[in-house]
Amino acid sequence: MAELGSISLWIALLISVWGASLAFVGGLRGRTELAASAERAMFVTWGLMVLASAALLRALVTHDFSIEYVAAYTSRNLPLYYTLSAFYAGQKGSLLFWALVVSTWGALALVFTRGRHRELRPYVAGVVCTVVAFFVLVMVFAANPFGRLGFIPPDGNGLNPQLQNPGMTIHPPMLYLGYTSITIPFAFAVAALMSGKLDTSWIHAIRKWTLLSWLFLSCGIILGMWWAYVELGWGGYWAWDPVENASFLPWLTMTAFLHSVMIQEKRGMLKKWNLGLVTGSFLLSIFGTFITRSGVIASVHTFTQSPVGWYFLIFLIIAGIAAFSLLAWRWPKLQADSQLESMVSREAAFLFNNLIFIVIAFSVLWGTLFPILSEWVRGTKVTVGPPFFNQVNVPLGLMLLFLTGVGPLIAWRRASSANLQRQFMIPVAAFLVVFAGLFALGMRELGANVAFALGAFVTAAILQEFARGTGARHRLHGENYALAFARLVGRNRRRYGGYVVHLGMVMLFCGFAGEAFRTDTEATLRPGQSVEITSPFGHTYRLEHQGVSQYPQLNRYVSAASLSVFRNGEYLGVMTSEKRQHLNALGQRTFEPSTEVAIRSDIREDLYVVYAGSVEGTEEAVYRMTINPLVWWVWYGGVVLVIGGLITMWPGGAVASARARAEPAGYVAEVTA
Amino acid sequence: MTARPGDRAIRRLTALAAALLLIACSPVRLIGQDSVGALRNPEIVQERARTDSLDNAALVQALEKRLKCTCGCNLDVYTCRTTDFTCQTSPAMHRDVLSRLAADSAGLTQASVDRVIAAFVAQYGESILMQPPRRGFNWTAYLMPFVALLVGLAIVGAFARRMLTGHRASDSGHPEEAAGYPMPAGSALTEAERQRLRRELESMES
Repeated sequence: MAELGSISLWIALLISVWGASLAFVGGLRGRTELAASAERAMFVTWGLMVLASAALLRALVTHDFSIEYVAAYTSRNLPLYYTLSAFYAGQKGSLLFWALVVSTWGALALVFTRGRHRELRPYVAGVVCTVVAFFVLVMVFAANPFGRLGFIPPDGNGLNPQLQNPGMTIHPPMLYLGYTSITIPFAFAVAALMSGKLDTSWIHAIRKWTLLSWLFLSCGIILGMWWAYVELGWGGYWAWDPVENASFLPWLTMTAFLHSVMIQEKRGMLKKWNLGLVTGSFLLSIFGTFITRSGVIASVHTFTQSPVGWYFLIFLIIAGIAAFSLLAWRWPKLQADSQLESMVSREAAFLFNNLIFIVIAFSVLWGTLFPILSEWVRGTKVTVGPPFFNQVNVPLGLMLLFLTGVGPLIAWRRASSANLQRQFMIPVAAFLVVFAGLFALGMRELGANVAFALGAFVTAAILQEFARGTGARHRLHGENYALAFARLVGRNRRRYGGYVVHLGMVMLFCGFAGEAFRTDTEATLRPGQSVEITSPFGHTYRLEHQGVSQYPQLNRYVSAASLSVFRNGEYLGVMTSEKRQHLNALGQRTFEPSTEVAIRSDIREDLYVVYAGSVEGTEEAVYRMTINPLVWWVWYGGVVLVIGGLITMWPGGAVASARARAEPAGYVAEVTA
Repeated sequence: MTARPGDRAIRRLTALAAALLLIACSPVRLIGQDSVGALRNPEIVQERARTDSLDNAALVQALEKRLKCTCGCNLDVYTCRTTDFTCQTSPAMHRDVLSRLAADSAGLTQASVDRVIAAFVAQYGESILMQPPRRGFNWTAYLMPFVALLVGLAIVGAFARRMLTGHRASDSGHPEEAAGYPMPAGSALTEAERQRLRRELESMES
């Protein structure tokens, strides 16, 4: 199978280079037969990627340890689902996974636009073939997943225990799907620039793709946070690690684009900006890969350091120069169709919202790269950790939350003072009531209090929008409130799905604000001994150590430390945190012992217990206990955000009528006596 | 030869006394409030020192969250030593922190915490801190995001002013046409109709 995989990669390299060349020549010279050949090359490349992936999966499942990658990331006693997830657990396999997904997206983009966007399709095929060719080239020359060992070991190294978690089977593919799907909007942007077809057709072509990649990135980031929280055992979910930042950067620019593209659709403004955002998002996704794989910046996530990172840097530079040169070439043709009428308008609010997104992206990028800059300028390496990012980004995040509430309240074009008064009265009242209430309750964490109050402001703004829309339908059509609500959302899924996403963001911000009230306690307990911890909500937990039991389980040996938990004297149950020593099929230890956290979660707070180890080989256990307020809101905020995204993406609704409305003549037709 | 009943009783009492003596002298006490059982496989669980009373002091935790562990994990000392239980560096740094605090005549105060931080910086350099100290070139790290915000605001302001000026200049003509909506021939609107159109557009698009 290794030979089949390697041959597939080589042929895919040739075919994708061929496809890219034909696509660009065919597009530029208007040679439809060349363009058609390029599209077929795209499908063949996809088929070859499927073949190579199937070869690697078969090698993993059949434990072909003659392949270096299989021996490095699996073992005979690794459960099947983790064996399959080893496909993308290492550098080489993840490159193949990436190439597979990009080629799949490319093929799907061509299938879904069949018969439409004829001027754009050749360039789309060309860009996707170029990206796939790059990934295959890296595999062939620097990181071949089918490389052979000079011998066949009796068993493999196994998968890192921290990757043996259900979250880890979903989180990386989600992120990869998000990163890779940005290639399609980027391909359409390049196609629009190259073909000179700069109207809104490319925007309509990528609408679903941008939402899809944003949704995958959101899922990937949130699942990554959840995995870090339940698996790594440090009690948090976001550490501003360079690799986390690398996934956050394209998410920020894509989110900015999802807002600014509405201005282009509605008013024909921000054409250059939108092209720049799509290009920037794609380049940031490659930049993230460069950071992850080059080892240029210290991170807990990095793959093994290898020359692969430098391939990505060169590709990043070439892609950046090419894309921005195209943008500069078409700059004079990208004039706005209409003008901004007032600074008190939704367009202006979106401008500020875009500005904040980009400034946050800049500050994250700046903080991530500052250690390198400091070393260049001063010869001194500094550390830029969570305290820096929190200080800089908390005020920016609060501004963004404020604008999340303001945007939906202001009318397009120009808002009158009467409109502002009517729209803002309830949300501002909600803000003031919550802020004063928290202060009266004795909460003095200013940042957290402002976040909660702004959360109330945004929630009130959104609920007001839902209530007014539902009420209007009820009055106009005589529908009952439930039906009116369902039809309101169903007829304008993009708008109301967006509001649901905003509600998810409010929940996430409230969850983040809860971090300000976190408490950590360490305790050494003998069986029968207990420790008391006071929650920020005022109640007291008593945790009584029951003892440590040891037993074999699957591919590991477990040491489980248990605690009985009482809240204000009421028995809640037993929490068990584990140490796991993983073993291979020969019973030999693999990796250092890993820790499994015990978490008791409710809507107010999480009780998070980690068994740190034992004293002198006895059942006397050392624990770290953390009370994490409002973490539940982070996970369910993520769920709400994804539901909102799905509502927005769901086909049908009023898209067709919205397109019809966007036709200028349609506005005039509305005016009848 | 059979033992007399008296001898058997004496032997039983002797055996019981010996057993009690053995238990009392055993290094692992099996009975009593302080008893603790040994693990069957202690080698697969990390060995930990008992928690010190200072471990839970807010100032100590805050101090250790400002210092980076030098094991290469990229985490602060507190997070590393309470997360990666295989790391030998962060517990050693923790002990170093506690010994420096104990040696400080002021005891556990903010001033002594600052002195301990300064001592670590003197020993390891600035990179021991989890964020760059606010001095010299490091100020750029803190200021650049807000400079970027100001520059962005200036650009947005200039863009908006140019757009607004363009809109006002075209306002003297046909406003809807200026806004990019072509008007059919002979469709001149009265002011009332224009206002109504604007209201309808707003309600439709908002």
